Amino acid sequence: MIASLSGLTTEFVATKINYGAVLPMLVVFGAAMIGVLVEAFAPRAVRYGAQVGVALVGLVAAFMAVVLAVGHQGSTLAGAVVIDGPALFLQGTILALSVLSVLAMAERFDGIGADAFTAQGAAAPGSPQESAAVRAGATTTEVFPLTMFAIGGMLLFPAAGDLLTMFVALEVLSLPLYILSGLASRRRLLSQEASLKYFLLGAFSSAFFLFGAALLFGYSGSMDLGVIAKAIGTQSGMDGLLVPGVLLVLVGLLFKIGAVPFHSWTPDVYQGAPTPVTGFMAACTKVAAFGAILRFVYVGVGDSRWDWAPALWAVAILTMVVGAVLSITQTDVKRLLAYSSIAHAGFVLTGLLAFDRVGVSSVMFYVVAYGFSTIAAFAIVSLVRDGGSEATHLSQWAGLGRTHPIVAGAFAFLLLAFAGIPLTSGFTAKFAVFSAAIGHGATPLAVVGVLASAIAAFVYVRVIVLMYFTESGGDSVRVVPPSILTSAAVTIGVAMTLVLGVVPAPLLDLASRSALFLR
Amino acid sequence: MTNPYVPLLFLAACGVGFAVVSVLGLSFVGPRRYNRAKVDAYECGIEPTPQALGGGKVPVKYYLTAMLFIIFDIESVFLYPFAVAFSKLGLFALVEMVLFILTVFVAYAYVWRRGGLEWD
Amino acid sequence: MTSGGEAVLFWILAPVSVLGALGLLLVRKAVHVALGMAVVMINLGIFYIAQNAEFLGIVQIVVYTGAVMMLFIFVLMLIGVDSSDSLVETIKGQKIAGLLLSTGLGVALFAAIGSATFASPIGLKEVNAGGNITGMAVLIFGKYVWAFEVTSALLITAALAAMVLAHRERLTPRPTQRQWSERRFQVGKNLAGLPAPGVYARRNAVDTPALLPDGTPSEASVPRVLTAREQVNDPEPYAGAERAIEREIEEGTNR
Repeated sequence: MIASLSGLTTEFVATKINYGAVLPMLVVFGAAMIGVLVEAFAPRAVRYGAQVGVALVGLVAAFMAVVLAVGHQGSTLAGAVVIDGPALFLQGTILALSVLSVLAMAERFDGIGADAFTAQGAAAPGSPQESAAVRAGATTTEVFPLTMFAIGGMLLFPAAGDLLTMFVALEVLSLPLYILSGLASRRRLLSQEASLKYFLLGAFSSAFFLFGAALLFGYSGSMDLGVIAKAIGTQSGMDGLLVPGVLLVLVGLLFKIGAVPFHSWTPDVYQGAPTPVTGFMAACTKVAAFGAILRFVYVGVGDSRWDWAPALWAVAILTMVVGAVLSITQTDVKRLLAYSSIAHAGFVLTGLLAFDRVGVSSVMFYVVAYGFSTIAAFAIVSLVRDGGSEATHLSQWAGLGRTHPIVAGAFAFLLLAFAGIPLTSGFTAKFAVFSAAIGHGATPLAVVGVLASAIAAFVYVRVIVLMYFTESGGDSVRVVPPSILTSAAVTIGVAMTLVLGVVPAPLLDLASRSALFLR
Repeated sequence: MTNPYVPLLFLAACGVGFAVVSVLGLSFVGPRRYNRAKVDAYECGIEPTPQALGGGKVPVKYYLTAMLFIIFDIESVFLYPFAVAFSKLGLFALVEMVLFILTVFVAYAYVWRRGGLEWD
Repeated sequence: MTSGGEAVLFWILAPVSVLGALGLLLVRKAVHVALGMAVVMINLGIFYIAQNAEFLGIVQIVVYTGAVMMLFIFVLMLIGVDSSDSLVETIKGQKIAGLLLSTGLGVALFAAIGSATFASPIGLKEVNAGGNITGMAVLIFGKYVWAFEVTSALLITAALAAMVLAHRERLTPRPTQRQWSERRFQVGKNLAGLPAPGVYARRNAVDTPALLPDGTPSEASVPRVLTAREQVNDPEPYAGAERAIEREIEEGTNR
């Protein structure tokens, strides 16, 4: 305990910074800052182009910085940031998925600004001010710097070496998402409601995280995950602080992945948020949050897992079952995909509960596979329109397979991947997590997982049947021809789903090689 | 004058005394001619109402001002320990603080350029 | 042990803050709730400083009592001081369930934390050896410098968010005074600008027209928007009141 307080000595020593290790984050935050400056000083007409350019260049540069950072692994900034195999793997994943998300967000069809976002967020929905803003060509290009800030927080989240840094990262990634959820260009009241719900519940879950972090600080005298891990072997008589602390921190983290019973925001927010933002949340937030859970559970408090793992087991089982069962009753495509994402969070948790290196690599592979598929799926949802707005009701998708075979085919393929059919990435990913669970004493979880997969598969197949074997209700539903941006996002997403299903070995290898946490 | 607080006490007494003398003195010395306008509450030329109009709602644009205030408030909270321990912290902390202030000023520049500080 | 002065401080302020906290829960009007909260927060700040946590105390007062309380009051004013929450349960039994669950969580936490046996504490003297605020500075600019820098991203996000959600940007440039003047001269009417609204003893708001020399209200002296919304005031009562006041002043009534 005395040693852990050595930070309080009054001699000030400047913290050593390994710039190579934190370069990806610096690049992303720098790009976000440039984005804000573009908003400040560039004329309205050039903002869209400049923002998309800055965001994409920043993300690609940050990805290259991640590749370069492989040679700079280690703990830096006095242990606040730990750049190790899992951190780099997940950062690379987040950046790759973010590129696709930004492509989908930038889609503008034949309009002047990004199509999914409102012309003026402050104008009341349906007000004269709103239509004046549309006429004047106003666009909310702030979404791009906001997205970049969120990505910066996501990069830090799985690399945070202490609970304080992890909390700041959690807030940095959450705050922009709350705003982005409320900026949909259509059905704006629904979108604003989603934003408010997400914000309130998110603030609540952050409070749980902080409470837990405070208890763990009381337990070990430090916020540092490594010091907490050491304290678990040596502290006695303080389990009353440890177990509640771990559980409360987990509540904060499980909220972000939408695990049951902390999932209630997911369907509403996924439905209300602009569709590309939903894809971004479903893919990138999950990657970052699973990374943080992995680090917290494996590096920080893993040695005390007999005390709290049963709770996590219950959460995993509930998440799989509730996600799969409730997706049956859904009539809205976005809500259906939301419940599907809940079920997938449960599948990933089974891999995590293996408490082994195989568990880490299977979780990391799963989030990559799911991320690519889900961004493509939401990008397709944003293309299917009825009149001006998105046709999200399932009945409107009837007969889509005949009228628009390519788009419906791609969507059907992605649904098969969600169901875990062989030759898709979903199968490989599910196989990886379930075999990790079976190999390390979590067989019951795997059994529940397989059953839940079967239920979920029924839902996905029903949608496919609807698209191909049901007469369409009317011909007002059509697929808007996408520009190169959405086409690229969908194509890459579908291609990765196929590639990771047919030749998963290279990525599986990479995942298992980088599955070792630096302690 | 041994205790350094004596002048302070004296000053406080002066302040209180001034307030009391002005308020009480006025009622003895001043003329007493009242009319309705004089005894009215003054609300900047608007008819005084017991309840605020429209349920007392203020426009949402005040929120922006409030948020900017909070941002600079938090910045000043970090400046406080920095200033206290400045001599001990050295160049590294100065650089970090300048970086922090610069990033906050990026936000300020954005708000200023987009008319967030204008009042119309 | 606490010194005599600290004990006195505690026994005076603790009941006050408990009363404030109770008021927070039991008072009906939202503004009074906010006041109760302010009382609790200021007292907390004083307690922190009394316990040698100067930095925390200052932050409590500057940020929470100052800024956050102000934001609370702002939000109250945004939604209207008179508006009250709907107390209808949208999900049946959610109040009972919420009460039971939160009581359960509270009991479980109390039981768990209460069962812990704490090691001997390090002691404030050692922790605050170089001064509390200096110690904080060493931590902020030392071990947690990255968290500190990343916090600035949060502040920028907050500014962006406030602008995006609450600021209605001007979409067309605002005409300058010169342009207004040129326009008036082109039209050739009201060359000196429109007449100002009426100024009466008890009212000078823009919704009350001025009187023309013949005693009729001037329509040009009130904004067109108000005329369209039918929110223009009748100046007669104010002019009448003014005449009455003038009479009163001349007569020098004593009351």
